[in-house]
Amino acid sequence: MDLTTTVAIDEENSVARVALAGALNTDTAPAFELRLQDVVAAGHELTVLDMKDLDYISSAGLRVIFKAAKQTKSSGRKLAAANRKPHIDKVFEILKALPDMAVFANDQELDDYLDTMQRKAKGE
Amino acid sequence: MKNSITTRLIVLLTLALAVIMGGGMLLDYRLSRQELLTRLNEEALVEIGVAVSDMENWLNGIEATTGLLGRILEQQEYSHEGLQQMLRDVVVNNDEIFGAAIAVNSKFTEDARGFAPYYYVDNGTVSYADLAGAGADYQKQPWYSTPIAAGKALWTEPYFDTGGGEVNMTTFAVPVYRIDDKGNRVAYAVVTADVALTDLQRVAGQLHLGESSYSLLFSKEGLMMNTRSQSRVMKHYSEISYRGVDLDRWHQMFSQALRGEPSTYDFPCPESEGHCTIRLGRLKTTGWPIGLVYNQQEVLSPLHQYQVKTFILGAVTLLLMAITVYLLISRLTRPLQQLSIATEHMARGEMDVALPQARGKDEVSRLVRSFNSMNKDLKAYIGDLETATANRSRLEGELTAARDIQMSMLPGSGEALWQQNGIDLWAKVRPAKTVGGDLYTYFQSDTHLFVAVGDVSDKGVPAALFMARAISLIQQLAGTATPPDKAMAELNNALERDNHSCMFVTLFLGVLNISSGQMRFASAGHTAPSLLRASEVVTVAQETGPALGLAEDQVYPINVLQLLKGDRLAVYTDGIDEAFNDKKEMYGVDRFNRELQACGELPVKDAGLLLFNSVDMHTGDLPQSDDITLLLLQYPSTTKQIENQSFQLGTGLTGRVQAWLEATLEQWKVAPESIMEFDLVAEEIVTNVQKYAGLEAGELLGLTVTVTAGSLALEARDQGKPFNPFEDGHRSELGADIDSAEIGGLGVHLITQLTDRQSYRRENGYNILRVEKGITGSGTEPPA
Repeated sequence: MDLTTTVAIDEENSVARVALAGALNTDTAPAFELRLQDVVAAGHELTVLDMKDLDYISSAGLRVIFKAAKQTKSSGRKLAAANRKPHIDKVFEILKALPDMAVFANDQELDDYLDTMQRKAKGE
Repeated sequence: MKNSITTRLIVLLTLALAVIMGGGMLLDYRLSRQELLTRLNEEALVEIGVAVSDMENWLNGIEATTGLLGRILEQQEYSHEGLQQMLRDVVVNNDEIFGAAIAVNSKFTEDARGFAPYYYVDNGTVSYADLAGAGADYQKQPWYSTPIAAGKALWTEPYFDTGGGEVNMTTFAVPVYRIDDKGNRVAYAVVTADVALTDLQRVAGQLHLGESSYSLLFSKEGLMMNTRSQSRVMKHYSEISYRGVDLDRWHQMFSQALRGEPSTYDFPCPESEGHCTIRLGRLKTTGWPIGLVYNQQEVLSPLHQYQVKTFILGAVTLLLMAITVYLLISRLTRPLQQLSIATEHMARGEMDVALPQARGKDEVSRLVRSFNSMNKDLKAYIGDLETATANRSRLEGELTAARDIQMSMLPGSGEALWQQNGIDLWAKVRPAKTVGGDLYTYFQSDTHLFVAVGDVSDKGVPAALFMARAISLIQQLAGTATPPDKAMAELNNALERDNHSCMFVTLFLGVLNISSGQMRFASAGHTAPSLLRASEVVTVAQETGPALGLAEDQVYPINVLQLLKGDRLAVYTDGIDEAFNDKKEMYGVDRFNRELQACGELPVKDAGLLLFNSVDMHTGDLPQSDDITLLLLQYPSTTKQIENQSFQLGTGLTGRVQAWLEATLEQWKVAPESIMEFDLVAEEIVTNVQKYAGLEAGELLGLTVTVTAGSLALEARDQGKPFNPFEDGHRSELGADIDSAEIGGLGVHLITQLTDRQSYRRENGYNILRVEKGITGSGTEPPA
């Protein structure tokens, strides 16, 4: 299984949406790592990993996410995951991975969060 | 031979004897030498004394004869003819007197020339000479004037007599006095006796000690009358130089001799080796110094002879003794030498070597006799040993044959695999000794499978014989439709009959209804079987009766066990659970159950052999203490599916593995959720191998996936370096704060969380990692 990564940048809110489709495993992780590094390096306030179409994740994939989470946190920014499928969720749970990472169960939750951020930014 | 006891004894004894004898002879020589020296000295003195006294006697005789003639002349008047006759008689009758004269004072003669007849020996005849007729006046001769002047008889200095005897001589002159008319005592005549020096020399020559010795005789004035060579005679001693004796010494000795003091002087011999001695004394008669020169060596020659004699005697004695010692020791130690040679032969295994003859009762003889008897015993012992060895190999051969016969009584001759009607049955017996008392058997009749596993008390031959009896009886009953409990009771009665040795057998006797899976079984004190069901192992509860063969008419309860599909029943003897290791730890039922569970996915044969192996690993180097029997019954067998695939390490490994795994599992209709989780597990496993096994790209990784009712298993095999991820692998701490959390080390967590059982073993250079997971909804039918 391959992995397709789509990156959408919302410059206005400084949000990067990284959509993953397919499998994030040992084979696909190295390429994804490079891609994610670029996104994180761009310095957006929030990087959201959209896992709506992610069917599979292994420890190799989690390692990449771990690494990105460390980097964003150290520079005071955020990394969030959205739309985790149940079995993906299970892997995260088994490994008790990223307990303090913001998790959005669906797009609605994510949009609400972004709105809130926008309002905060505008000082409302 | 240099180190032989014989040589040492001979050398040491000879040396010791030589020292002792040499010491003794030396002491003897010293004592004897002293004695000899004293004796020689005394002998010399006696010899000298005798010679001197002979000389004195000889001179005394002359003096006496002359003196007598003088006294006769004093008393009587003789005619000239009478005097002449008397003189002649004196010369003729006294050999020692060379010549004699009566010289009458011319005052008393008619003739103015006087009267002096003289008779002397001339060439053996007595000649006459008239001294008065000779040219010179005899009254002026010293032999006439000196005695008269001295008024006493005396010896003259030696002189050469001219006109008379023409020889060197000395004269004893006696003055004769008469009383004249006036009563005055006047010299009437001088009577003389001449002694030729040659005669003196002859007498003095008797004085000698040793061959080269010679005597010395001096006149009072110091003229030499006798010495070694005639040429020196008549010369004064001071004119002669003796080598080794200076003149002062001569003077001193000479004057001492004149005074009558004997003296002795040692000097180096002038003409030969060694020391010479001069002894000088004085003749009492004449007052002449007389002496003797001799070589000490010659005097001591008897001593030298004695020394030589002693030395030769000692050497000969020593030689004789050495020979005697050699002969004696050789004779005494010959048996020892022969014994030593015989021992070397015996050491080479030549037991028939001849031993020396032992005579007498000494230690050597006793040793030889002991040796002889030892040799006989040894021969006998070796003979016995050969017989025993032969017997033993024969016995071993018989036992091996017995083992073959015993094994032929069991299906498959000790190890059997039977697969029919979907049932797998595997059984194996391994006796602790060549033959044993364990047994198993099975027999299918239509719809039923008859199974028996038994263990006769004890082991070895007695157990084997009883086992043969038991298995014959069991096999007789196997074909009948007798239920196990009744069959057990019948067996018991049959075995009890005439069982005087009180052997007994524990027995599991079961009859399986193949189609329904119902097993009815009876147990005669046999270890309860274990049941593997759905990856869990339990010991089957059973009611049991007493062991067979002890008492008749026993009742054996019937047990019923319903086998489900996928069940595996293990019936075994106590040789397994009661196997001890060197720490006295029992293998135990729990351990057996665990191992049975661990190899539950393997075919019965592989699982059985693994179980045997596990017991062997437990006992280690200890010899098997009891017979071991294991029977595995798989019901039914066709529930398992298995797929193998090898993968080359390298890029895209995960994808290739997952593609194969998904396809396989989907084909087996495994639930998608389980497939996805197994996918994940497989990825973590192969990633681990790729990362840590140290293998190159292109090397192979073997994967086996099996599915049974309720269980999914994946086994990975690689030839990498030994690596047990569950123990050696790095595991990150879970749930840590993102700041302290580690990146990586997550895979092992996933594997352990997503599977139920994990095991790792190293086998024949392979890392073998096995994970199992209970599943539902697989392609296999659910348990009935």
